[in-house]
Amino acid sequence: MKYRYLLHDGVFENAASAPSQVAIRYMREELTYQQLAEKSAQLANYLQKAGVGRGDRVGIYMNKNIYSAVAIYGILTAGAAYVPLDPFAPTERLSFVINDCGIKFIITNESKSEQLSEIIKQTQLSGLIGIQNSPEIKIPATSWEEIFTLPSSPPLLSLVEQDLAYILYTSGSTGTPKGIMHTHRSGLSFAEWAVQTYQVNSTDRISNHAPLHFDLSTFDFFASSIAGATTVIIPEAITKLPASMAKWIQDEKITIWYSVPFALIQMLERGNLESKDLSSLRWILFAGEPFPTKHLRTLMNKLPWVKFSNLYGPTETNVCTYYHVPLLSPDSDEPIPIGVACENIEDIVVDSNGNQLPEGEIGELLIRGGTVMKGYWGRPDLTEKGFYRRPVFGYCEDIFYRTGDLVQKLPDGNYKFLGRKDRQIKTRGYRVELDEVEAALLSHPIVHEAAAYPVPDVEGSNLIEAAVILVEGGNLSEDDLIKHLSGRLPNYAIPAKIIISDDFPRTSTGKINRRELQEIALTRNKS
Amino acid sequence: METKAVIHKFILDELAKGRKKNISEDEDLLGEGIIDSLGILQLVAFIEEKFNYTVPDEDVVIENFMSVNAISNYLDQKLVK
Repeated sequence: MKYRYLLHDGVFENAASAPSQVAIRYMREELTYQQLAEKSAQLANYLQKAGVGRGDRVGIYMNKNIYSAVAIYGILTAGAAYVPLDPFAPTERLSFVINDCGIKFIITNESKSEQLSEIIKQTQLSGLIGIQNSPEIKIPATSWEEIFTLPSSPPLLSLVEQDLAYILYTSGSTGTPKGIMHTHRSGLSFAEWAVQTYQVNSTDRISNHAPLHFDLSTFDFFASSIAGATTVIIPEAITKLPASMAKWIQDEKITIWYSVPFALIQMLERGNLESKDLSSLRWILFAGEPFPTKHLRTLMNKLPWVKFSNLYGPTETNVCTYYHVPLLSPDSDEPIPIGVACENIEDIVVDSNGNQLPEGEIGELLIRGGTVMKGYWGRPDLTEKGFYRRPVFGYCEDIFYRTGDLVQKLPDGNYKFLGRKDRQIKTRGYRVELDEVEAALLSHPIVHEAAAYPVPDVEGSNLIEAAVILVEGGNLSEDDLIKHLSGRLPNYAIPAKIIISDDFPRTSTGKINRRELQEIALTRNKS
Repeated sequence: METKAVIHKFILDELAKGRKKNISEDEDLLGEGIIDSLGILQLVAFIEEKFNYTVPDEDVVIENFMSVNAISNYLDQKLVK
């Protein structure tokens, strides 16, 4: 076997050893490994001729489709780094990202032409790929038809594993997006670990549910291409309809599903799982936010032949701990642990002064190993703040990423996740863990989802507010909830207000948007 | 108002508010992000109230909800019965 050290190597390995194996599926379209390798090479040849090379950034801006994979692997094959642009984000935010990391070329499609004519005015793009030239688009455009006439063997480049492979932009705590830089090595370290841990092989059909700008998608594409498996891209529309989503898993004979808990909870509630044949599923992997134990247990009971795994890790580390969920006891809704460090990961826990704590004490989790990012694009200040340096051998350093998450090692060796360090707030001088408030709300059987957030008050302190969604047909008042909490939380941690609503604002990755809830509360209090 | 017009108006005025000025009757509402997963819940609740018809979970699928045309075809079928 060829020595593998680049993220796109898997595609070319499989194109040689299993050319007719299906690499990517999207609705009724398919690309075999040979087709994917050839098309990626053609895109790479185009990019190289256009002057794109090692370390350059190329955008991907389109609703997911069969060419999403060609875009990813073509950009990597050209030696450049791909930057996924959220297809549903406002154009101002996208223009910010494009300008921030100096994107010159974007892979896109016709459905984005309206937004692109806006973006072009606010940026310095040199060209678009994947759409036809048109009067509204004032820069050169090259269609796939033209790309696919180019030579189909990859350009010869000498890349190394430390080269930049992709940048994922996430909301910074101040609201300015920050670009998390991953190298071929950090991406591959995660993908190869995942292939081993979940025994991914060429018979697997792996779902791609997450958008490309969300780090879960790197498993879907890169673990799959190393193993020679098939990545099945779920059409955007289906992700909105739990009953269609469950049927899609059945029809596509998905063997490994990976998503945020929210998508799974939706299917559990409204997907009519009993009427579907989901016997091909062997793993359900989830990450991104805690999976409320009561929903997870119900799901596990409905799919007893499926193994479940909780993957944990900030985007900066890909994934750094994991927990294979055992049978859950019916009489405890205790949150499940995030598990143990992945192989090739060193984990330490430190106090707020950076002193390493003995096992079992609560502190911030720090991570060192192959999966950790290179840094934040263009932000040496944030990068330095994100890393922790431990001196070694006199003048060398071991570099850890500060996860910002509070953990505690349990006697069985698994980490318990206690919440964000910065989700710890002070209210009237008391320190409150907002995640704890949410967990207490969720422990009520009628509460389906809960979010707690601080609302600054006139006295310069914070009040806690919470919003909940009740289970379908459930009926509860704010007072009932306060009563429920009073037995579980100290008085100062009980929310000043609990809003019972039908839905929450969510981020583009499906997480509860607590910042927006907070803004709504602020606006309400002002008026 | 006929079913199609009622649905069209609700989607345009409530769900796509500020994001889209025009929606054609066969436009891909979900794939283009005009309606998100919360929007679907709102739309189903709206239909149930307006037409006094309970939409079963298993009917909330792509074939019935992908466009204004699909939704009104689905409802026309169900509401006659």
